Amino acid sequence: MASSVIIDSLKKAHILELLADGKRLDGRSLEQPRELSIDVGVIPKAEGSARARLGDTEVVAGVKVQPERPFPDTGDQGMLICTAEILPIAHPTAETGPPTPDVVELARVTDRGIRESKMLDMKQLVLEKDKSVIGVFCDNAVTDHDGNLFDVCSYATTAALNSCKLPKYEMQDDSPVKIENETIDPPITTLPVSVTMARIGDYILVDPNMDEWSCLDARITITTNSDGNVVALQKGGPEGFTSDQLIKCAEISVQVGSKIREIIKEATKGSN
Amino acid sequence: MGGRDTDIVLLDENGIRSDGRKVNETRKVTIKAGVLKNANGSAYIEFGDNKILVGVYGPRDVHPKHMSDTSTGILRCRYHMAPFSVGERKNPAPSRREIEISKVIKEALQPAVMLKEFPRTAVDVYMEVLQADGGTRCAALTGASVALADAGIPMRDLVAGCAAGKAADTVILDVNNEEDQAGQADLPIGYMPNLEKITLLQLDGVLTPEEYKACLEIGIDGCKQVYEIQKKALQEKYFSTGDVKNG
Amino acid sequence: MSNDKNRHVIPGEVITTGSYRSEQNTFTEGDKIISTVIGLSDVRDGSVRVIPLTGGYVPKDDDLVIGKVVSHSAMSWQVNINSCYEGMLPASDIFGRDFSSHSDDLTSKLDNGDLIAARIVNADKTRDPLLTISGRELGKIDSGELMYISPSKVPRLIGKRGSMIQMIEGATNANVTIGQNGLLVIACDDSNGLIKAINAVELIEEQAHVANLTDKVNEMLESKSE
Repeated sequence: MASSVIIDSLKKAHILELLADGKRLDGRSLEQPRELSIDVGVIPKAEGSARARLGDTEVVAGVKVQPERPFPDTGDQGMLICTAEILPIAHPTAETGPPTPDVVELARVTDRGIRESKMLDMKQLVLEKDKSVIGVFCDNAVTDHDGNLFDVCSYATTAALNSCKLPKYEMQDDSPVKIENETIDPPITTLPVSVTMARIGDYILVDPNMDEWSCLDARITITTNSDGNVVALQKGGPEGFTSDQLIKCAEISVQVGSKIREIIKEATKGSN
Repeated sequence: MGGRDTDIVLLDENGIRSDGRKVNETRKVTIKAGVLKNANGSAYIEFGDNKILVGVYGPRDVHPKHMSDTSTGILRCRYHMAPFSVGERKNPAPSRREIEISKVIKEALQPAVMLKEFPRTAVDVYMEVLQADGGTRCAALTGASVALADAGIPMRDLVAGCAAGKAADTVILDVNNEEDQAGQADLPIGYMPNLEKITLLQLDGVLTPEEYKACLEIGIDGCKQVYEIQKKALQEKYFSTGDVKNG
Repeated sequence: MSNDKNRHVIPGEVITTGSYRSEQNTFTEGDKIISTVIGLSDVRDGSVRVIPLTGGYVPKDDDLVIGKVVSHSAMSWQVNINSCYEGMLPASDIFGRDFSSHSDDLTSKLDNGDLIAARIVNADKTRDPLLTISGRELGKIDSGELMYISPSKVPRLIGKRGSMIQMIEGATNANVTIGQNGLLVIACDDSNGLIKAINAVELIEEQAHVANLTDKVNEMLESKSE
């Protein structure tokens, strides 16, 4: 989508001028993300939900839980699937119809960040081995797009999963039956948080907004877990990074990530 | 649909419904206009437990070009439910039900919007149901009218939506999900209050001619009540002095 | 000239009844004159119109607009003018009548992303509006601060016979080019003046409908704030 938003030359020149002074168009410093606000439980009928707003980018994530047949090779584990969609209300260039490569990438990166971090202990989501397991779906809907969807989907998903309530099921006659009015807390092991950085010239910017996204040379999304370990990586954009830059990016993502993790914890306090 | 056995008491001996309402009472409706940064017009509506976000883009260029009309702008609508909006997770791909509702809502808005002044363009209305609890098409239509006005699209009138129905052999106003599942009829209505025209009308269920008339009457009254909320939402955004918020 | 019928209206609301001429943003139904948009009704001299408070820019002949080049064909540039129609700037406007698509490369003069101040030559809705940049104060914009305001607020920013914008330019030493389409460019050598001018524009956009706005803007411009 970045390629379809043509940034005007004055703005681009302005962005570069400011970067030389360590500043950005919206007044932030290079390593400063936009203001993040998270509300959980915004979709009360879903098993979990969160609305995350980072600057003017907004995502609503909803968690739905239902019993599923396990995958054949992982009969001792529950199922977790994360998706993402850019709703056509979010941006004038957002299209309806089958997902574009940008949207597919967004969904897969969001899913990997949660899956690889092992945020949910899948072994605790089994009802009957090889027969019936708990399937957890977290669907992200981008409602307003001002750049950096990777991070906002990551925060919305982590907050929604961290605050969700799983229905309780019992096996009766080989079938899972939901016990009304009883829920269990999700088996959370860690809180994965992604931080996306753009390279414009020699400068690394954290949380690029749409204007910066439209003129970046390269970008990297780094997901870290509560222990400060890197659990997922995704590089994008038309140009490359030096390895020094990538090492710096990882350091930044641990620092910035830990602050964001606190915001998510605060927002989901009282849920689990 | 219609008259399934259920433990729910749809209407008790005092004429009170399962959610505490009287037979001619709508659920609580709140609307906020101009909630999205990028869309040209937008609205967020809560109609009972329904939560729907509407965004409007346009008039704008039509792609593919062969779809454009040289004599008038065209109206396109998309009603879509988020996977997490319903009890059992819904596949994100558009279902036949969503496609039909999109068309029905478009034809409810068409008589209101005036697009002859914008040839070769399209006005796109996107309605996203974030949480569903019966009557989503009426709520989506209601929000869409507000979003269109917010976008500055010229309209002959707003279109307000509300459903009438029948449960426990009684004509009721604004059927919720429980009543839709266990009740006997659901009649969604879209209405232009100043021009006094009905632009959306469907029926699921069976009604006698008297019940049909009663439903229309009570439903139109419901639409008028909803219209007052639409008006309030626009007045709050555009006409309140001092406290100006830009979307 | 009594304006006591002037008030806030929304689409579908009856402004007045009787034999009036229905003008911009109104239509008639029987003897009722009805608004089609959210705005302020204006009844005078037997005609009724509504001044809209929202909506995009509709191109009109002779309007000065600021646009962004978004693509080009062999013979013209397509320009985003913040409207439902894209503007068309023919190559001959810059290269002259002897323009030849073989020898003259369009991107040498204007490329994607370039901003221009242009005038609308022909806003006939059956085709894309025709633009020109040959004229005084027209052409490629190389520097300055670009701002967007709602097109409906432009008249307020300009003021009666330019009074508001001249007040701002005078107090800040800035040169402001205002497009009827809601885009404007502020050029100022002094960074304090630039910031003051930007703040003034933002104040006007926010409070365009408030009375004594001129006094408020004046006060803001005169304050020695830092």
